[in-house]
Amino acid sequence: MSASELGRLAAQSGEVIDRTSPIRFNWNGNSLTGFKGDTIASALMANGERIVSRSMKYHRPRGYMTADFWDPNGFVQVGDDPNVRSGHRLIEDGMTIEPQNVWPSLDRDIKAANGLVGRFLSAGFYYKTFIKPQKLWPAYERVLSTFAPGGKVDLDTPHRYHDKRYTHPDVVVAGGGPAGMAAAAAAAEVGANVLLVEHEHQLGGHLLWGSDADRAVAAELANRVSAAGVEVLTNTTLTGRYEDNWVGIVQRSHPLAVERLIKARAKILVVAPGLIERPYVFAGNDKPGVMLSGAVRRLVNMYGVKPGARAVVFTANAEGDAAAADLDRVGIDVARVVDARNGENVVSASGSSKSVKSVKLGDGSEVEADLLVTATGWTAPTSLLNMAGDRPVYDEGSARFYPSVTVDNVLSTGGISGDGSVDELVAHGEATGQLAAGRASVVKHRVQALTARSVPVAGPEPEWTADFRPELGRDDHPELFRSTTHGIVDFSEDVGSKDLVAAAKEGYDSVELLKRYTTATMGPAQGKLETVNTVAVLAEARGETIEQVGTTVWRPPYVPITLGGLAGRNFEPVRVSSIQPWHEANGVTPIIAGAWIRPEHYGNPADEVNNTRTNVGITDVTPLGKLDLQGPDVPKLLSQLYTNKWMKLPIGSVRYGLMCAEDGVVLDDGVTGRLGEEHYLMTTTSSGAASIWEWAENWLQTEHPEWQVHVTPVTTGYTSINVAGPKSRELVGRLVDDVDLSAEAFDYMRVRTGTVAGVENCIMWRIGFTGELSFELHVPSGYGLHVWETLMAEGADLGVKPFGLEAQRIMRLEKGHFIVGQDTDGLTQAPAVGMNALIKLDKEDFAGKAELAWAMESDQVPHVVAIQTVDPTIVPGEACQILKGTTNEIVGRITSSRMSPTLNRSVCLGQVDTAHAEAGTELTVLLRNGQRIKANVMSHHAHFDPEGERLRG
Amino acid sequence: MANAPTTFESPVVTDYSTRPTNASSDVTLTDESSTSKILIRAGSETAAAQQLGVPFGSARQSGTVLVSGQRPSEWLILGSAEETDAFVAALDLTGHVSVVDHTHSRALFKLSGVGSKGTLEKICGLDWDDAITPDGAVVSASVAKANCDIVRFDADEPGYLLACDRSFGQYLFDAILDAGDEFGINVG
Repeated sequence: MSASELGRLAAQSGEVIDRTSPIRFNWNGNSLTGFKGDTIASALMANGERIVSRSMKYHRPRGYMTADFWDPNGFVQVGDDPNVRSGHRLIEDGMTIEPQNVWPSLDRDIKAANGLVGRFLSAGFYYKTFIKPQKLWPAYERVLSTFAPGGKVDLDTPHRYHDKRYTHPDVVVAGGGPAGMAAAAAAAEVGANVLLVEHEHQLGGHLLWGSDADRAVAAELANRVSAAGVEVLTNTTLTGRYEDNWVGIVQRSHPLAVERLIKARAKILVVAPGLIERPYVFAGNDKPGVMLSGAVRRLVNMYGVKPGARAVVFTANAEGDAAAADLDRVGIDVARVVDARNGENVVSASGSSKSVKSVKLGDGSEVEADLLVTATGWTAPTSLLNMAGDRPVYDEGSARFYPSVTVDNVLSTGGISGDGSVDELVAHGEATGQLAAGRASVVKHRVQALTARSVPVAGPEPEWTADFRPELGRDDHPELFRSTTHGIVDFSEDVGSKDLVAAAKEGYDSVELLKRYTTATMGPAQGKLETVNTVAVLAEARGETIEQVGTTVWRPPYVPITLGGLAGRNFEPVRVSSIQPWHEANGVTPIIAGAWIRPEHYGNPADEVNNTRTNVGITDVTPLGKLDLQGPDVPKLLSQLYTNKWMKLPIGSVRYGLMCAEDGVVLDDGVTGRLGEEHYLMTTTSSGAASIWEWAENWLQTEHPEWQVHVTPVTTGYTSINVAGPKSRELVGRLVDDVDLSAEAFDYMRVRTGTVAGVENCIMWRIGFTGELSFELHVPSGYGLHVWETLMAEGADLGVKPFGLEAQRIMRLEKGHFIVGQDTDGLTQAPAVGMNALIKLDKEDFAGKAELAWAMESDQVPHVVAIQTVDPTIVPGEACQILKGTTNEIVGRITSSRMSPTLNRSVCLGQVDTAHAEAGTELTVLLRNGQRIKANVMSHHAHFDPEGERLRG
Repeated sequence: MANAPTTFESPVVTDYSTRPTNASSDVTLTDESSTSKILIRAGSETAAAQQLGVPFGSARQSGTVLVSGQRPSEWLILGSAEETDAFVAALDLTGHVSVVDHTHSRALFKLSGVGSKGTLEKICGLDWDDAITPDGAVVSASVAKANCDIVRFDADEPGYLLACDRSFGQYLFDAILDAGDEFGINVG
């Protein structure tokens, strides 16, 4: 016998392949042909390929065992996509498939030498061997990483489209076998909105590889599902159930997206995943050619693939019997049927590295065969029920676990709940669907009643539907887990029954500890194949029953999920002002500030500073937070938020204020102007726009609900333009004719409302951050670009130029204005910033008052001071430490620093302790290169125009 | 003196005129940002609140304007500038009532057609079932991570009005177009 005994059978009545549509693909450097509908596994076996991978640790040759999604031996590299489940992925034209984790080749893998020292590579080998000496770990890590399993990740792989969707069905059914389909159809037929999720590519479950009659039932149910309007997602997996039936679903069948993560809020979840066939543990059970009965039946009946030439079938149930019959029907020599129900057993499989050649039986006989089929029982994949709080209980008679806890909004049906004929499974599914629909209507009634926007509910809440479903039976099944020999238990992780026994002897004899120590059940199969055998081997080692040992807890996800699938679509909201198109068209270098895209500069920030100081500059300050305040109690709110006084701000005036948190730490600063009797406009820092709104609402809603104030954010309702420079009045004057802009009529810290460039309802402030004569224009944003362009056009002869954030920051630093968050930090209390005159402790109350009263008396707070280096050409980096004399004692740090184009020297702000805050104090600044330089504390924050003559214009 | 502006500048500045039109599309996204949007806040004890009458979470056509109860004691009036001005002028604004013109603060889009629900389901986590969010329902939600006020606004076909902060306008418009791609979304 040879691998060529594999191949394609004559057409089968239930096959899902289209023999009229050949597909060419490449495997391991060879060009092969399959058919549309083939999985990679079926196509490879049809082409005689029996070995498809090497095991994770010992690099033993492996062939298909389950030939479906769960196959632990079928991981391959498809193009630049690693760890593809070849038992599940369909072939496509031109697909390039490579084995992974082999070197230099699949046939001759040098790492298979691990198998020679396998007895030393038992559980915990890495922990025990490489824990000391610790300093060598980096070297160990480099070597060991070359043994890491899995495919290759190409960092240059183009980003692919991963989608996301939210949905709120009445009923989600997980599993499209007979019971799942019946449940979905029955629920939809009584009016429920149903989503049916099927892991495989077709609905039908085990009926698909059954008899013609089975397939007829499957087709009939599928038609019923369709007619009932059920939304069906095949090749899709429900990966987790969370609080209140929030379920995660990964759809692999979306026409546009590689994967789509669906977040569904199911009113009722029906769990119908069927059963997963369990491997048998014996010597040689991982040899290529040892397959489960379901795998053989799928290959024969669905894909027309001949899985071997001469078979031994070890059966303990009807599925095994059917596998033997299928093999016989298609002409494969069934050399021996070994019936476990009669006490017969398989002891070992032996042969070459490429295939099984003989099977040793319990009676001592040996049978030549290249295919050993086992049918030794089932694992009930109770994961989704576990996630809902269920703890499965083992039933000795049927040799599998069953759900034990009733969860109101999660129901189970099908094989996971019990055994039965197809008709009985369908009947149970139908009853479950009707029950689910009934309960979903109650949940929907509750949701509707609690949702203000919904259609008002009609009548009282319906009664919770009682569960009167007929129970499914439990067929007797022999307990078959391990033969008289040892073999592999976890095929994904290369963990054998000997490893488990040894670990138990070492003291890891709790199933949860054993799992983590040996990694059994922690591979890509996630316990679906190996959990029960793990528990059984441990029970045997402990001399206890499976029920006494219990099982591990299945947690999300049900199957491993790609990171792309988890991430879904990548939303990165960005904010731009109405002037952004102009910025982009005029050579802006942008800067990202939070979600905002802002102009950093237009080529040369120093030139922008010089032009503004000499002529006139305009800058886009739209992100500046703006809150519209209306109501009779606005002054009370302002007095509460700011540290200074606000009860008597005249209409048309603007005042600067400092805000502190309850701990006295500077929270924000800005100006507020009074526009009318009960109407104010507050500005905040750009970064504080949202938080100060919340801060204001917090005071209004929790502390002073009696105050009549409406706070409305209008940040982007106004495009904000600062016009600064000695010619700013002249420029603004060319656009405004209904406001007297003279210094006498509109002096510093005043606000006016008027028409700018024909745009009505603009707000103008006489303030500025640059130290220059400035007009801050707040223009309704629908006309912001118009006003900006008009300023540029009308000011051409005045030398108007735009300036960006960097020039603005330079000018504010020349002027000595601090920035909250830059020159202050999370510990900087208000007295530190040199504005004690604005802290009015004689007010009845304001945020931070108690702490500030203490801080004002303390000499321990740091101080923000202006600093100039002795060598004017050196600009210390921001965050450079300030040291005490020649020592290494840190007494402060530079918080802002730039080369001033105006003064042609470096200018800084910094925080220093009280002892070093006096004007004239000599400081030592430690530069990033380790050099220490001298600097002096200035007498005023402003390096430039400390008297403020320019800004008062 | 400078000329007055002639047109409202929408936050959606991308030119979609060359974007292929899908004749079989069943969903359309339209930029309605120039619609006048007046925000009225009035306590329940005020005459204005009584006049407005639309409860929180719902919207109602009142004459030619749409009155949307988007938050407790807060309504957004949508219509042409003349219509919204006239509507507000007819209100009794005595007591603690504030009126703020949000026309320039909010971008406004209309998503309409049979595929509009499917499009919205891709970028917003709320339940758009007809019983939970019927025609005239008003919600606030994150849409593609941008905060939005949404009005279910059916005409001959299902539709939604989405209002977001103006600065997010272009981003959100493009995010909705991207979500609607699989339904062949057209720009209206």
